[in-house]
Amino acid sequence: MATTPYNYSYIFKYIIIGDMGVGKSCLLHQFTEKKFMADCPHTIGVEFGTRIIEVSGQKIKLQIWDTAGQERFRAVTRSYYRGAAGALMVYDITRRSTYNHLSSWLTDARNLTNPNTVIILIGNKADLEAQRDVTYEEAKQFAEENGLLFLEASAKTGENVEDAFLEAAKKIYQNIQDGSLDLNAAESGVQHKPSAPQGGRLTSEPQPQREGCGC
Amino acid sequence: MDQSVAIQETLVEGEYCVIAVQGVLCKGDSRQSRLLGLVRYRLENDVQEHALFLYTHRRMAITGDDVALDQIVPLSKDFMLEEVSPDGELYILGSDVTVQLTTAELRLVFQLPFGSHTRTFLQEVARACPGFDPETRDPEFLWLCRHRCAESEAESPKPREWNSDPGTRSGFAPIGGGRYQSWNARRGLEDVLPRGPGYILLWGGATKEPEFLLAEEVHEGGPVRGPRARGGRRDEALEEADWEMSAGGGSRERDCAGGYNVDSSRPNGRGLLPLDQSSGARCPDKPENSLTRQNRSKAEITDMVRSSTITVSDKAHILSMQKFGLRDTMVRSHLLQKEGEYTYIQNFRFFVGTYNVNGQSPKECLRPWLSSDTKAPDVYCVGFQELDLSKEAFFFHDTPKEEEWFKAVSESLHPDAKYAKVKLIRLVGIMLLLYVKQEHAAYISEVEAETVGTGIMGRMGNKGGVAIRFQLHNTSICVVNSHLAAHTEEYERRNQDYRDICSRMQFSQVDPSLPPLTISKHDVILWLGDLNYRIEELDVEKVKKLVEEKAFHTLYAHDQLKIQVAAKTVFEGFTEGEITFQPTYKYDTGSDNWDTSEKCRAPAWCDRVLWRGKNISQLSYQSHMSLKTSDHKPVSSVFEIGVRVVNEELYRKTLEEIVRSLDKMENANIPSVTLSKREFCFENVKYMQLQTATFTIHNGQVPCEFEFINKPDEETYCKQWLTAKPSRGFLLPDSHVEIELELFVNKATATKLNSGKDTIEDILVLHLHRGKDYFLSVTGNYLPSCFGSPIHTLCYMREPILDLPLKIVNELTLMTVQTADDRSQLEKPMEIPKELWMMVDYLYRNAVQQEDLFQQPGLRPEFEHIRDCLDTGMIDHLCANNHSVAEALLLFLESLPEPVICYSAYHSCLECSGSHTASKQVISTLPTFHKNVFSYLMAFLQELLKNSAKNHLDENILASIFGSLLLRSPAGHRKLDMAEKKKAQEFIHHFLCNPL
Ligand SMILES: Nc1nc2c(ncn2[C@@H]2O[C@H](COP(=O)(O)OP(=O)(O)OP(=O)(O)O)[C@@H](O)[C@H]2O)c(=O)[nH]1
Ligand SMILES: [Mg+2]
Repeated sequence: MATTPYNYSYIFKYIIIGDMGVGKSCLLHQFTEKKFMADCPHTIGVEFGTRIIEVSGQKIKLQIWDTAGQERFRAVTRSYYRGAAGALMVYDITRRSTYNHLSSWLTDARNLTNPNTVIILIGNKADLEAQRDVTYEEAKQFAEENGLLFLEASAKTGENVEDAFLEAAKKIYQNIQDGSLDLNAAESGVQHKPSAPQGGRLTSEPQPQREGCGC
Repeated sequence: MDQSVAIQETLVEGEYCVIAVQGVLCKGDSRQSRLLGLVRYRLENDVQEHALFLYTHRRMAITGDDVALDQIVPLSKDFMLEEVSPDGELYILGSDVTVQLTTAELRLVFQLPFGSHTRTFLQEVARACPGFDPETRDPEFLWLCRHRCAESEAESPKPREWNSDPGTRSGFAPIGGGRYQSWNARRGLEDVLPRGPGYILLWGGATKEPEFLLAEEVHEGGPVRGPRARGGRRDEALEEADWEMSAGGGSRERDCAGGYNVDSSRPNGRGLLPLDQSSGARCPDKPENSLTRQNRSKAEITDMVRSSTITVSDKAHILSMQKFGLRDTMVRSHLLQKEGEYTYIQNFRFFVGTYNVNGQSPKECLRPWLSSDTKAPDVYCVGFQELDLSKEAFFFHDTPKEEEWFKAVSESLHPDAKYAKVKLIRLVGIMLLLYVKQEHAAYISEVEAETVGTGIMGRMGNKGGVAIRFQLHNTSICVVNSHLAAHTEEYERRNQDYRDICSRMQFSQVDPSLPPLTISKHDVILWLGDLNYRIEELDVEKVKKLVEEKAFHTLYAHDQLKIQVAAKTVFEGFTEGEITFQPTYKYDTGSDNWDTSEKCRAPAWCDRVLWRGKNISQLSYQSHMSLKTSDHKPVSSVFEIGVRVVNEELYRKTLEEIVRSLDKMENANIPSVTLSKREFCFENVKYMQLQTATFTIHNGQVPCEFEFINKPDEETYCKQWLTAKPSRGFLLPDSHVEIELELFVNKATATKLNSGKDTIEDILVLHLHRGKDYFLSVTGNYLPSCFGSPIHTLCYMREPILDLPLKIVNELTLMTVQTADDRSQLEKPMEIPKELWMMVDYLYRNAVQQEDLFQQPGLRPEFEHIRDCLDTGMIDHLCANNHSVAEALLLFLESLPEPVICYSAYHSCLECSGSHTASKQVISTLPTFHKNVFSYLMAFLQELLKNSAKNHLDENILASIFGSLLLRSPAGHRKLDMAEKKKAQEFIHHFLCNPL
């Protein structure tokens, strides 16, 4: 009875990184709005999206920061990595160059976030099978070698988009559960939300059990 | 972003951050960001104390680690936080709110962001201020000791002193008294603010009068404040406090919750248990409330039904939840609205029976009554009247009959199904039993039962009604069993009893804040009982005859209930099925014979079943003649009732959609703007030539605050040569603002641009509070200039600077003075910069007799012309006013990154300014090019002095002008110390009046 059924108890901060044009903004948009943006302008700055998801019965609010992929903004976008609980590192399966740059993105992600930050590799544009330039297998291997979660997804069809965000959240939640992610540690990227003030009622005063006719 | 969350993480058990706001602490000219958190601590006896915690923080404080406690200001009786208008400034809507925090010990000024959040913050603080009432106990703030270690000793007094008698610490120096001096000075307050004890006692108790006077003076110019204004404010605060208290335990419990959370998250360092889990553990007898329905064993269910407080159905459970926050309320109301989308109607078979047992114990099997149907009903509603007619039952409310009849019923339920008892309720002789098939038990929730007595004195339980209300899946059902007033002529009483039962029967809701439910508020109402309405206006024999003839229609016309219902005096909206059975009253016990007693009552349909609601159809309505225990015959009715059942999948979908739409709303509420331009190219930027570009920020639908923010590791939001005007502001929905970017390269930035260490390239981050960040790119190219170039660099440039490849300019600019000297053998540099020569030569040729040379300002456009001529080497085109060239020369000297007399020689120059020889000695140590320039300039100045009759110059004037240009302090003070200035002049003076 104590739970607030629709309110969230955690906030996870996510960042989405990767070369320009790989579909970061489209992934975010698909996740928050369930829509595909066919002609999405380049992100010149940092955008936000939020959505509440459920992991193991816990409501979690994801606060997602979509960064600009253009190289010239790299120095500035780096400053947004701090305090991320999850990082979605995206490449475009139809453009090998975006895959080749992953190691540099990964270096940034590792250096600028805390060791517990969950990084998930996403091969986007999986709908363009005909133009595939990076095989699933090699990316999978890259992910395994670097201890990353991995999924191929399509911001266009929506395939695996939910999963990408959810898998990362599950992993973060698991880290919280098994204690490997210390919420009090610097920059965990997870915020445990104290109950909403009004919500305190039931928690502090368990409802008396009503029984029988009361006479 | 709610930053109180981050603060909460730094607090310990019992402390609760009520609200936080991010502000700017103004100390003199310095501006530092602070997070202000109002923290409440609850002592025993419900006493609370408050303090303001001031934190330094990172840009967006998300966790406790982003903030560092800087200072604690307890809300003692002398605490005051008031809005002030910044001196001399007009109040501008949307501008920051300036507040002044005063206590006995300190005074701080903050700027808080414009908006409702700041308002709320200020209100909360006002509310938290302890009253002025001398009766109330002075807060002690002992709890703050825990935070003391984190603070520096100097910052705050010992906790005890916070509230000790002011008299005892008269020697106590005001904290920050010195530090805030500059602020006071700014406001011209120094003379009215005595330091020391008097100052401390501001607002103190002992010396009220003068203090208030003082306070008035302090606030002069601002809104009028004084004892009265203050008193008024206090009263308000008290009133509000009262209101809060009477508003119920909400706030108190809120605190406990906060405290509990901190408790669980701090000491063991785990802090991982979400609130609901931890408190769930505290009441283990509650069933799980997870959204996924659990599969439970049948035994468990029966048990749960017995305890009858289960909340099993998701929907039912959720709908019964208390109000939590706006979000929950919104979700719930949306869910109700969309009920049709995720529920469908499923028919349930209800058995409804009523039996007036005339005080008898069960003597026969009840199956003929309860199990006559071929199909097993899903729900049994079985009512009895006159269960026990004994005085004991009446007065002591206890009867063995309850158990006897409960057993008799339980044993006679339909054999084809297993049933679970949901509820038994009894008022003296009126008893109602509710059973459901076991498989439905999981979908029964919110079971409540109540009784209403309407008997003797209108209260007692010999007459009246009992009722059970519950939720089956998503349909709410209320079953009422009533025994109304007896006697033929008393139908008015019966009507009254009905109305009493309806109005007095109230079921409490799970959420105590909701009003109690009444019978009429249910989707389905089933009303059974001995309603006691009789057949009127016909004598006994006539009735018996008509019954025998089965002329029930004729009898109907005389049935009081039918008559009353038709007259709408009772059971409005209810339906009763057609009666096809003979009256159920009154028989000789043990037989089917009409009453043969003295009274010889006329037969009547006393025992009835009515219903109200949608999707209800009656399958049967009958009496059961074979039962002979009582003077009544039992009646039964079977219904098929359409119940709203939740389709799990659709429910999830609907819930998800609702949550989604709220998420979307939230995303749509993130402030967002459009920028008319995001790329700015400044071409051919020249030294000291302003270039501007403008763009417009168009706001969307959400009011927003924007600000250019610093990039990491940078002190300013953009490079030194750029400014954005305005650099922050507030935008109403659909409004716009024009931003001007100004690019201006001066001596501070020119050298780096010449050397290539800096380029005209920058990214500005335009940040919207609680929203996106936009990057603006600035690009362009700088045209190198002799202004800002080192002397030796220019000496190595045989060609005009703009004719040289950029790489060479960069290289030469980076060359050090030492290398310059070393290389001179090889590359044959010029002895002095040719640009210097050009200007001096021009003046020598045109201006030696110019009146007031170096004392009249030049013309701006001419400076640009001179600069271009120098940088392109088109000296022949140089055509300018003498004063303009003279000023250009001074600017040139001023822009030298290393002054003519090198920084390293500065101090020795001042030391030996008394002696010409020593001064010459210092000059001889200068690097060659600097030495050359110095001598060249001195020669030129001496030349000018020869014409002093015409140009009115003298040694003193020139020494004063050139002293501060040639000799610049390495400390970089803008204004020289007067003594140093004098010495510098003295130094130059030697070289003006002595032969070189
Ligand atoms: N076919 C296909 N096209 C996609 C998919 N995702 C994105 N695109 C297209 O790829 C282009 C770039 O997508 P964006 O989301 O703007 O890329 P980005 O990573 O945000 O790029 P920057 O903001 O410049 O860093 C757009 O034209 C999208 O329509 C996808 O899954 N399939
Ligand atoms: Mg993008």
